[in-house]
This record gives sequence, C-alpha cells and structure tokens, in this order.
Amino acid sequence: MPDRPTATLSTEGIAKSYGPVVALRSVDLAVEPGEIHALLGANGAGKSTFVKILAGVIRQDAGAAAINGHPVNFKLPSDAAHAGIATVFQDPALIPDLSLDQNLTISGLHRSDVEPWLERLHLSGFDFGLLARDVPLATLRLIDLARALALDPKLLMLDEITAALTPDQADLVFDVMREWKGMNRSVLFISHRLGEVLSICDVATILRNGRDVANFSLDGVDETELVKAMLGEALATGAPVSDPKSAELVSSVSESSDVVLRADDLHFRGKVNGISFDLRRGEVLGLTALEGQGQDELFSLLSGDHKPTTGEIILNGVAMSAKSPYDAIRRGMVFVPADRQEALFPQRSVRENLAIPLYNRFIRWFGLQRDEGRRVDEAIRRLDIDTRAASEVQRLSGGNRQKVTIGRWLIEDFEVLLCFDPTRGIDIQTKAQIYDLLREVAANGAAVLIYSSELREIPLVCDRVLVMYDGAIVHEQPAATATEEALLTAAHGLEAAS
Amino acid sequence: MTAAAPTVESREGTRAWRRWIQRHGWTVGIWLLLFVLVAWYSTLIPRFGGFQTSTIITGGTAWIFLGIAQAVVVIAGGLDLGVGGMLVLTSVTAAQFMDGQPLGVIVVMAICITIAAAVINGFVGWIITVSKVPDIVITLGSLYIYQGLALMVLPKVGGGTSGSFRWIFTGSENGIGSNPWPAIVVIIIPVIVVAWWMGRTRSGLSLYAVGSDKTAAFLSGVRDGRTKIVAFAVAGVFGALAGFSSVSISGVGNPTTDGGTLTLNAVAAIVIGGVALTGGIGSVIAVVPAAMILFFFNPILSALGVDPNRAQVIQGILIVLVMMIAGVLEWRRQRRS
Repeated sequence: MPDRPTATLSTEGIAKSYGPVVALRSVDLAVEPGEIHALLGANGAGKSTFVKILAGVIRQDAGAAAINGHPVNFKLPSDAAHAGIATVFQDPALIPDLSLDQNLTISGLHRSDVEPWLERLHLSGFDFGLLARDVPLATLRLIDLARALALDPKLLMLDEITAALTPDQADLVFDVMREWKGMNRSVLFISHRLGEVLSICDVATILRNGRDVANFSLDGVDETELVKAMLGEALATGAPVSDPKSAELVSSVSESSDVVLRADDLHFRGKVNGISFDLRRGEVLGLTALEGQGQDELFSLLSGDHKPTTGEIILNGVAMSAKSPYDAIRRGMVFVPADRQEALFPQRSVRENLAIPLYNRFIRWFGLQRDEGRRVDEAIRRLDIDTRAASEVQRLSGGNRQKVTIGRWLIEDFEVLLCFDPTRGIDIQTKAQIYDLLREVAANGAAVLIYSSELREIPLVCDRVLVMYDGAIVHEQPAATATEEALLTAAHGLEAAS
Repeated sequence: MTAAAPTVESREGTRAWRRWIQRHGWTVGIWLLLFVLVAWYSTLIPRFGGFQTSTIITGGTAWIFLGIAQAVVVIAGGLDLGVGGMLVLTSVTAAQFMDGQPLGVIVVMAICITIAAAVINGFVGWIITVSKVPDIVITLGSLYIYQGLALMVLPKVGGGTSGSFRWIFTGSENGIGSNPWPAIVVIIIPVIVVAWWMGRTRSGLSLYAVGSDKTAAFLSGVRDGRTKIVAFAVAGVFGALAGFSSVSISGVGNPTTDGGTLTLNAVAAIVIGGVALTGGIGSVIAVVPAAMILFFFNPILSALGVDPNRAQVIQGILIVLVMMIAGVLEWRRQRRS
C-alpha cells in the first residue's frame, strides 16, 4: 500500500500495457494537499495513460492508488469523480449535440454551480443555451475546467489545459489554480510549456519510458534542467530546446524566388477581412495570432474547404477555384490540420494512413505500385515513427500521430504545405523533428505556411512571420528578429515597438 | 483581451428566437405540414367531421408509438428492428389473455405486458452491450423471435379485449367512432412524459450523450451500456402501447401481421421527424406528426382515387422528396454556421 497517508493522492507501481506496447512500467507518485504538481515527460513517456488510469477511463494492470490514504480502484470515470478526482482532458468531454445547460445536467450540475468559476475565467454572462458544437474550442476547455472545479474535487488533473488557450486565458487559469491551491486542494498539471510549469508548479515528477525517474521541488530549477530530466542526459545535449539544429537551416529566401502562392485580398464572412500575402518557393512563412482572429477561416480557404467571398488564391500564377480539398490537393496544396483526429483514420494502420493520398488515382485502387510501397516505408523511417503500434493509428501517441499526418504528404509531390499548429501538445524532441522536417521540405523547393500559437517556435522554423488580428494581417517581419514580445504586442492588435 | 466568447448582450430576444427556430424549425415545419395535409384532405372527401378525424388519429396511434420507440433507440445511437415484432407480440398476447376479462383484470394485464415488454427488449439491449454485435444484427433476430413467439401465443387470428379497454385507445367500444379525444390523450401523455425525460433529466439526456459522442459521454460519467439497455426498455414500453392500440382498433389479435414492415415505417417516420440515424439528434415531439403524415398518405391517395399499387410508389417518392428537402435545409444551416 502507498505509504503517504497525508497525501491527497499517492500511487505505487502503477503499470499498464496495451498488447505488446508497454505504456507504463511502474509509477510512484504523491501529491500533497495544497500542491500544484507537474507531471512531465517526453512523448510516449506515459503521462496520458497515467492520467486516464486515475480518471477511471482505463484500468491499470498492476499497482495501487490511494486518496487521503484510502485505497481506490476505479472501474469507471464516475468512480474517480466520487472519490474526489476531476479531470480536464485534452479533448473537451462535452457532448456536441447538447446545449451547455444539458451538458451540465449530465454531470449532475447546474449552471449556478459553474458560474462563480466562469466569472473568474472572464466568461460571465455566458449563454448556456448554445450547443457545445457551436462554442469555440478554447471556451469549451474553460467550461470543462469550470465543470471540473464545480464538482469540488480533492485533486484536479489538467492535461494540457493551456494548449488551445490564448496567453491571457492561460493566465486566468493560473489564477484559478493558485486560488484552488490556497483552498488546500491539489492539482496534477501536465503541460509541454515549461515556462508555465516553472511559474505555476511547486513540485515535478518526471516520467520516462513509463517510469517515474525523478521527483523534485521546482524552486530554483530552470528549463534546461527540466529538459535534461525529461530527455535523459544523452539526448538533452544533442537537442537542447533553445537551439534545435533546424535553426541553422533557416535560409533567407531572396525576393527573386518565384511566388508559389499568392493570396489576393481574401474576404470571408467577416472573419477574413482583406488578406494578401506572397509565399515564395523555399520559404517557411509563419503566421501567428490570438485565438479566433480568423486564422481557422484563412486556412479553410487555402485548403479548399471553403470558397472566399471575394478575393483570389493564386497558385503558380493560376487562380485556384477549389470546390473541395480534393481540388486543392490536386493542385499541390496540402493541409495538416491541428486536430489530428480529423486527419487520420484511427482504426487503420500507419502505412494505410500514409498511403491515403496515393488512392486519389483510380488505378491505385487495385493496389500500390512497388516503388510507392517503398516510399511509404521511407516516410516511416524518415519521420522516425514509432511502429510498435503501427497496426492502428489510434494506439500511437499524439506526437507520432502528428508525424503521420505530415508524413502522408511526403509520399507525393506538393507545392505548398499548410500546417495549422502542428506541434500542439507535442514533446520537445518531436517538435524539433517536425521543425527539421519543415525546413527540409522548404529546402527541397516547396513552400510552407505554418500557423503557430506558440510564439517562440516561430524564429526556430520560419523565415518570415505574419501576425493576424481581427481577420487582417497587422504585422510582418523577418522571423530571425521576431521576439516573443514583438509578436505578442502585434497579436493583441497593438502597434509593434520595433 | 477576452476570449471570443459568445456573450449575449443586446438583441437577446431576437437571437433566442432565431436560435429556437433554427433548432426547432423542422419540428414546427412537420406539424404545419400535417395540418396543411389535414386541411387539404378535408376538401377531398365529401364529409369531414369527428368520425374522419377519429379514424385518422386512432389509426395513426400505433405508428406514432412505434416511431417513438424507434426514435428513443436511434437517438441513443442504436437501431431496433424488433419494434414492429414487439407490436405483434404484445397485441396477440393482449388479445389472447384479455378476452372476456373484466376491465380491472385487463388493466393489470396491460401493465404486466408493458413491464414484460420493457424487460424483454431491455434484455435485447443488454445482449447488444455485452456481445458488441451491431444492433441491426441482434434486433433482426429479436424481430423474428417476437414474430415467432406471437404465433406460439396465438396461432391464428382471434382473441379479443373488452369494450372499455378499446374505448381508451379508440374512443369507442367497438374500435370505430367519432370521438377522437381518448386517442389524443393516450398519445399526448406518454409523448410529454418521454420528451420531458429526454430533454430535462440526467438519465434521459444520457441517451443524447451516448448517441452524440460516446467518448465524451463516457468521460462525463455516462455509462453507455446501461443507457442502451434503458433505451431498449423504453422502446419495449412503446412497442407494447402500439400493440394495445392495434388490438383495440381491430378487436382481435393477428399473429400474421408483418412486423418488419411496421418497423420500416417507424424508421421512415423518425427520419421524416428529423431524428439523425447517426444518433444524438432529434425530438420525439417531431416524430408524432411525422408518423401521422406517413399514416395519412394512404387515406389521401385513396381520396384522390389513386390505384393502390401506384399509391405505394408515390408514397416512396414522397418520402424521398421530404428527405431531400430536409437534406437541403440541413446543408444550408451548416453553410450558415
């Protein structure tokens, strides 16, 4: 039995395997009352599995957990809730076809229970009659958080809560966490953003390969030390966070390179208000914005999902009139969406998911040609995809799934790669691999447009950066000189200092 | 900076109204269509009064109940091909055992048959949950089983029930009269109860939750197996109500009634009523007029003097047309949002 009777939560030897894939080998962890405890680890370290076990979503193969010294063993999420653990998952657990009021009823709550918390998150006067499907993702996550808080748990588990939030929303969440801590309640906090981990958390437990390898107080610790602990010494020296090797690859694209993609005064339903830019061959163009500034709509126009109200998208000098993404893809404009679930066929194998673009040609419905099979294998190798769970993409970790969504476009030639927040919720090592990949794609003569909500990755991967605010581009500068401060100022629609 | 949160400030009334129309437009439209058809029908026949109204409503009652039975299961993300068979089984059971009994005994029997139907169909739901075999396969089996059991209970047309029991469902002791009100009450009460349950209570909303997003429902603490069993049990109750209505109209039990056709009518009714076959979307309130309209096609076409064989073809075309209109409306709605 776990030997920390004072701890809000203590676990001992928690282990879990999925068939041959071992997700968790043995995890011991203790969260004290009034403590914000960070759970850190690279992709596939087992964080998500651990959270799911404690949330009652899956059951451990071995090991024990206790809450306030009382042993617990959850069969269902409702068991975890009764025992005093509330979880905010990466994907909001709200029913899309029900109104927010009805969603609260499902959880046994009333809107008056969550309103005090929503007020602190600056969502007062919220319209609970809306269907969850009509509410933006960031808002849904905050509602999910308020719902978890309203259940009045002893332990709150937050899995990448800030991933879809704007910096100001994240700050509000941190304020709420501090208040929660002041009430002597505990938080288990999972985030890839080490800056926020250091600023909000008291203690960190590091998972690596399904084990807890370190546990220490975060007083006086800096990001490099955390990275070292997460990656292990050998890896950390090879790929430090602040200086991935992709930085060396950043080239300055000359003004004379041909324009591959030109957006000419695009307008769309009041969300995109007159956007024009040029994207040149060999260039990685960054785009950043706060949540909901029209970036989603801009990407849906470029990827052929919607048609602009007015304005033109010109690809290699010819106007594109895509009726569907199929037309855009045929013209060589391919899209990697932020939501990896949206892009993948979760029950099919890695190979099939990679080969999907090839099936655009009818002749291949009867089987791939031999060299194409080789290209698929080549992509797997190049992307360093963990193929232990290759028979079903849904069993891959988030980072490996993202590699598959990018990798499928490497099988065939393309002109423009559109990436929407490709590194959301992904560990540093995989991020660096994705940066390298994007640079390589550009170096081979394609053009890349990448939207990122993480300001500091822009100088690492881009040549040039655009900032969007209220459906228009308000700022442009070479990425090498783009400081977080300058981008953040512009993203708030303020005059840039530089 | 505040988030792009949709806060309600001015024009709250207009927005609420527009949203109400957007969400319930189909329900309102189907009710209007029903009233238009009734008005039109009244001009087609020489006399339109209590008798005609009563005939249509009484005849439509079983269709409505079967539609609701199917809607409850489909909204929860399932499908029950057995509902038509349940009508046949409960109606012959009622006819076999109620014949010649006093009303008190009959009411107790009706309650017992309803409970048994709920338990049996709930058991079908349990089998689906445990075996993980698709609903369509298991319930195809339950359809045949119900149909076969009906022949074992009552090998040929016969049996009966009391006049007062027939009055409850038809407004007349011999199944045909000019008082539509008992049938209207018999329809309205269960519909209101089930609509309230599904829209307001935790257990009822769980049906929508499971049908809409199984994972999110599970994470919200909804037990999808239990929810499916409940949905099938409720479908059993409505199957039994449909059975009672059927035996009240004809006065006898008929084990050779084709339950499969009745099931497919119920599926057509819920589709016209705006229930998504993929689950999670729809309202039993709209299934009522949709089932009525479907039932109503026949009297209208015969009043127009259409040859019955051709009438079936026309009926099929009309269903497809209604669904195409629904599809266009849905497409426009999605484009707007």
